[in-house]
Amino acid sequence: MLEILINAVTLGSLYLLFALGMSVAWGTIGILNFAHGSTFMFSAMVAYFVVQTVTLPMWAMVLLGAAVGTVLSVLTQALVFNLILRRNPDLLKAEMQIVVGGIGTASVLLAIAQHYTKSVPFGFSASTFKVATYQLGPVHISNVQLVILVAALGLAGLAAWWLKSARAGLALRAIGVNPEVASLMGVDRSRMALGTMAAAGALAGIAGVLLTYYLGSIAAETGDSFLISAFAAIILGGIGSVAGVVTGSMILALAETLVVTQLSGTWASAVAFGLIFVVLLFLPRGIFGRKEVRRT
Amino acid sequence: MIGWYEANLVLIEATFLNFLLALSIQVPLRLGVFSFAGVGSYGLGAYTAAILTLRYDVPAFVAIGAAVLLAAVVGYLFSLLVARLNGLYLAMATIAFVLIIAVLATNGGELTGGANGLYGALSDLTTGGVVAVCVVVAVLLALTERGPLRRRIEAVREDPELSLSMGIGVVPMRQMAFAVSGALGACAGAMNALLRTTVSPEEINFHLIVLALTMVIIGGSRSWIGAFIGSVIFTWLPSMLASAGRWQDVVYGVIIILAAIFMPTGLLGLVQTLYQKLRGRRSAAVTAEAPADDTAEERALLQALGGESRGGVQ
Repeated sequence: MLEILINAVTLGSLYLLFALGMSVAWGTIGILNFAHGSTFMFSAMVAYFVVQTVTLPMWAMVLLGAAVGTVLSVLTQALVFNLILRRNPDLLKAEMQIVVGGIGTASVLLAIAQHYTKSVPFGFSASTFKVATYQLGPVHISNVQLVILVAALGLAGLAAWWLKSARAGLALRAIGVNPEVASLMGVDRSRMALGTMAAAGALAGIAGVLLTYYLGSIAAETGDSFLISAFAAIILGGIGSVAGVVTGSMILALAETLVVTQLSGTWASAVAFGLIFVVLLFLPRGIFGRKEVRRT
Repeated sequence: MIGWYEANLVLIEATFLNFLLALSIQVPLRLGVFSFAGVGSYGLGAYTAAILTLRYDVPAFVAIGAAVLLAAVVGYLFSLLVARLNGLYLAMATIAFVLIIAVLATNGGELTGGANGLYGALSDLTTGGVVAVCVVVAVLLALTERGPLRRRIEAVREDPELSLSMGIGVVPMRQMAFAVSGALGACAGAMNALLRTTVSPEEINFHLIVLALTMVIIGGSRSWIGAFIGSVIFTWLPSMLASAGRWQDVVYGVIIILAAIFMPTGLLGLVQTLYQKLRGRRSAAVTAEAPADDTAEERALLQALGGESRGGVQ
């Protein structure tokens, strides 16, 4: 039972790393990045091709993943979302264009990855890192799981502190409440947007590399399934809230692990969608979500 | 000509089926409702028609009719369920609805054939029948794009609060859109299942949602003509891009990105804007006071109102 719990928390931490940047970007600068899953997968793939030629330790691989994720995310923001926002003053309309632009970006990245990996799963067996298992009291825990737990909780804590206490974090939250007033108060929206997307990309890259270490190998299509799980985690917790993403990721991972171990594997994918549905019906703004005024 | 028709029959049929699928996303979108439930109805319709044909050997129109009716009812009930949601939240709930239908189909046991799906649903549906249904649907939708009904639909999309205060039943109209969307999606799914004689849970996935959305956005989301343009482009583009060889999918993605950036109103909107510019220039040359295009003015006014009130709500 404890083993199941540890596995669930590890999976939850990976969801957390992945969904954190996406949630903050969606909740503050209003960009729901559909290319996030592809960014995540692409970072792991670049790290894979680098490690085939240069043998690297784990920390270098994680940094490399973060760097690739940052670059991809910044490029997506600058070349796609920024151009869409500049041409669309209507927010609702722009929202849809952003979704479509993200889908386009995602399919470009996926196609490139499928081309280079020939749609075969890839792993980091060439890295110097070796998996070891420790006995901590009654439970077995591997060093990969430890790294994932520490990275996820540490980075989530950092993000929560930064959003709450730093001056730039306050500015970012101000954009989330009212972009126009925030601009009038001297917040540089496009610079904040670029910074948020860069951080989100870095988190996606880290998650991609760590997931590959954890599972042994991932495929080009792994990004898509992670994207849907991340939606569920974000909606569950409430958009834009760090505590919400942490709660949402953990609940989702626990529910999925329980269904897989107690029921059958074919129902596991229903958990994420079922949770999205139930939460939206009973808690439309998620567990930690902000209330919003509605008149129709 | 006949040779070309026979060689491309599958693509021609696919164009019309995709047209109906795109419409199932577009109808709610015209009312400002961001719903993908039509794609779920596509799966629902495909399974209903296939099961009816396999078990009871009913004629095609009965199978399709039953599928359409069932999906319309399910769509209406679904709209009651998600009545409190809007925007991207609603979109997410409908994506969940679509994927849950796929999971139910996978776990449906004997009724849905599990992960393998259903085979051998032979029926008397012809290509002519598909085209006839599409023409009827297009005519009916064209009727909603003129006169008072069009103005009501545009008002609900641009400013629900204002429409409500003007006595337009926003909620019933939205529920109607869900039912119509369900019917259209089921019609596409049922006809696809009967033409291909098979249906499997793999067909109803995230990519079908993406395809339906891109067809509408790139064709144009305001009129059935836009959905038709989109369905023609996205049915034929993959075979056209075959000349790009290995980079086909990359080119496909780049086209979607460029369309999202440079054509916010879709191809149809682009053509309309160009046409209006040309006409505006000509009429300006004839009379100093050009006859005002009341639809353009109306839309500008509604947009101005919509922009203001949205700022207020936030």
